[in-house]
Amino acid sequence: MVSGTDSHVVLVTGASGGVGRGIAIACGQAGWTVWIAARRAAEGEAVADEVTAAGGAGRFVACDAGDDASVQAAIAAVIARDGQLDGAVHNATSGLSATKHGPLASYGVADMEDQIAVGVRGAWLLARHAFPHLKATGGALLVLTSEAGFEGKAGLPVYAGVKAAQRGFLRALAREWGPEGVRVNGLAPLATTPALVTAFAHDPEMEKRVMGRNPLGRLGDPVRDIGGAARFLLSRESAYVTGHTLMADGGACPVT
Amino acid sequence: MEHDILVIGTGAPETRGIADALEARMVTLEPGGAAGWRAALDPEPPAATVIVALFHPLHPPEPAVVLDPATWAARSDGPLLDWMVALGGAAALCADGGAILAVVDEVPALDAAGMAPEAGVAEGVAALVRSLALSEGKRGVRANTVSTPFRLMRKPPVLPPPPLAGFPGTFEGDVLESIRLLLSPHAAHFSGHVFPADRGRSW
Repeated sequence: MVSGTDSHVVLVTGASGGVGRGIAIACGQAGWTVWIAARRAAEGEAVADEVTAAGGAGRFVACDAGDDASVQAAIAAVIARDGQLDGAVHNATSGLSATKHGPLASYGVADMEDQIAVGVRGAWLLARHAFPHLKATGGALLVLTSEAGFEGKAGLPVYAGVKAAQRGFLRALAREWGPEGVRVNGLAPLATTPALVTAFAHDPEMEKRVMGRNPLGRLGDPVRDIGGAARFLLSRESAYVTGHTLMADGGACPVT
Repeated sequence: MEHDILVIGTGAPETRGIADALEARMVTLEPGGAAGWRAALDPEPPAATVIVALFHPLHPPEPAVVLDPATWAARSDGPLLDWMVALGGAAALCADGGAILAVVDEVPALDAAGMAPEAGVAEGVAALVRSLALSEGKRGVRANTVSTPFRLMRKPPVLPPPPLAGFPGTFEGDVLESIRLLLSPHAAHFSGHVFPADRGRSW
């Protein structure tokens, strides 16, 4: 059981599938109210139903994580209905991050801009609009980053750069928000997601490399393994943890 | 080959200082015009060493949540894009067996409040350079980063003080000497590293 779950309200961007869905359901299992903030309404509504079925209260709100007005409106919708926000999770990632592979010189400027807009700017936008409400509840911001941000990636350099930038951002933000009683942490997952399945299909050797370095010998489950770690970082059980990036990757990344 | 060094920058005096100190040729790119940088870099001949030293305009420390979107873009998104394009160009221009070096502003984590955009960019550059170390290492190219707080630190550091006196260091004494160290034959086996030239403030 997770302590301190009374009236816990969280919003998760990019939660219409993959790791975001796993986090949402895991939070639902604790009885939390979970807002699925995503662009795809049908998929987002379906995840909201899964949250409710898991024991929480699932709600969907349309949100483009890289758009200032859209993020602001999503947060406003949460406050209008539930009156509080205890946790905000920036999980949204550019659709290009999982489909474009190649060395840095092969990327177009538009690809780079899109990944920066969703990954880095999106993290800031969520922080900016969620902050007054997180301050009111003594809540937490969680940013989904990646081991790529520690190690770099030969074929995903822009993704690696964006994920590392998120980590630098959240570490600085933790220092700014700590005196206000708001925690900021990161989570670097390695999980069975559609994006990873696509990547394995694109590069069959990648699966061997990924699994070969994973001492636990399996990919993480988005609900049990990744969602559970995220729920911890959003809950009062991690009340003394801030500025940290937790690697939920089966021990795969040797750099922490 | 000793002086076959190319320095890529946007006209900052520090970038010129690096090029002058190393007797390197220099490419000056138009600030804020990253979309056109590839065309500017393409005609350049390859170099054994390519240094990317982008020193963006400085901004006063401010809490991230009070920044307006234009300021955020100027401090975070724009500089990160610049680095992506410039480092991609560096990889294309670096000869087999050569070296790529990024020189980036970075405020130590302990002192990073008010500088969240810059903190993000610096971490992003480190990961981009590590990505180059992985992708270009196959042809013998090594890639490293020198990070420096000497421009960003404008107020006394958060306690406790840095281990060595003189924080945040100087351009000539800390930045240039770190560059020379990493370009020397003695550092030929280093790749993917970030060297904080910050008197022991971070590691």
